[in-house]
Amino acid sequence: MILLARIGVGLLGSAMVAGAAVSSEGFISIRVHEKQADGTHLSLIVPAALVPATLHFVPRQHLAEASANLRPYLPIIDAAIPALKECPDGVFVEVSEPEEHVLIRKVGGSIVIDVNDHDDIVHVSVPLRAAQSSIHQIAAANGEM
Amino acid sequence: MKTLKTFLLVAVLVAGTAVWAASPERYLHVRVSNPTTHELVRVNLPLSLAEKVVPAINNGQLQNGKVEIGDFKANEVNVRAILDALKTAPEGEFVTVQEPDSDVRVAKEHGQLVVHVTDKHDKEKVDVTIPWEVAQALISETSENQLNISAAIKALENIGDATLVTVVSNEESVRIWIDSSNTTEK
Repeated sequence: MILLARIGVGLLGSAMVAGAAVSSEGFISIRVHEKQADGTHLSLIVPAALVPATLHFVPRQHLAEASANLRPYLPIIDAAIPALKECPDGVFVEVSEPEEHVLIRKVGGSIVIDVNDHDDIVHVSVPLRAAQSSIHQIAAANGEM
Repeated sequence: MKTLKTFLLVAVLVAGTAVWAASPERYLHVRVSNPTTHELVRVNLPLSLAEKVVPAINNGQLQNGKVEIGDFKANEVNVRAILDALKTAPEGEFVTVQEPDSDVRVAKEHGQLVVHVTDKHDKEKVDVTIPWEVAQALISETSENQLNISAAIKALENIGDATLVTVVSNEESVRIWIDSSNTTEK
């Protein structure tokens, strides 16, 4: 009986540690709401720590174009993300038009983008720390860095 | 016990000094509005972010935080030479051009480089105010055809709240300014 209790405590502890590790880098949140009658409604919350791990399983040829596009901007991204982490929270860009509203802001350790236009409502929230490591992984997918 | 009290006192003093010395984030704000089309664009750029990102951009005419202004030179307008000359010039009006279509006035006022342009044809009015520290930073550590954007951003962080550019026309109004607020509601 005591042995079973110990195993139970061990499993619970492991699950808690795994949960903490998975959620340590925050969560990527994506919501898409297409406004037409039969439009898509998508809501996705993914632990950001899973993204770099998942990228390992994506065939390199699928990341080749993204990798090539990203490489020239890596020095800028590497400079911007740590600086963004240190910035206070706030709105960076807001565009308001009669049929469109775009908001780019920093909330906590995440960059949050909200778009509300004639066709869609889109919300994307990406933790900065996860973004940097994932971007590097995508950039490295196309051969030597 | 006495050592502990001294240590605590020093710790409180150090912490207090650090809090007092911590300067608030400075922001470059841009606001573009068009009342006719009800369009509004607001940008709040933390200067600390610009200070770190601009030197990392090496693309086209912007390299290592400095921008090549060769095109200006080609048009017989040497921006660097003008700023250099203005540095030692006394306060007052330097250039006034009045034409049927436009008025241009360049002056050094209260330690700032001030440019007023009125386009009578398009009914557009442009006011540019560049604090002198920023103007000097622009030409610091540069060759003849360069402007030092990184140095100008650092200089902007140290000036007080100021409006740098306003453009008012029939259709649009633009305002660019510096302050410590992270919103454009001012």
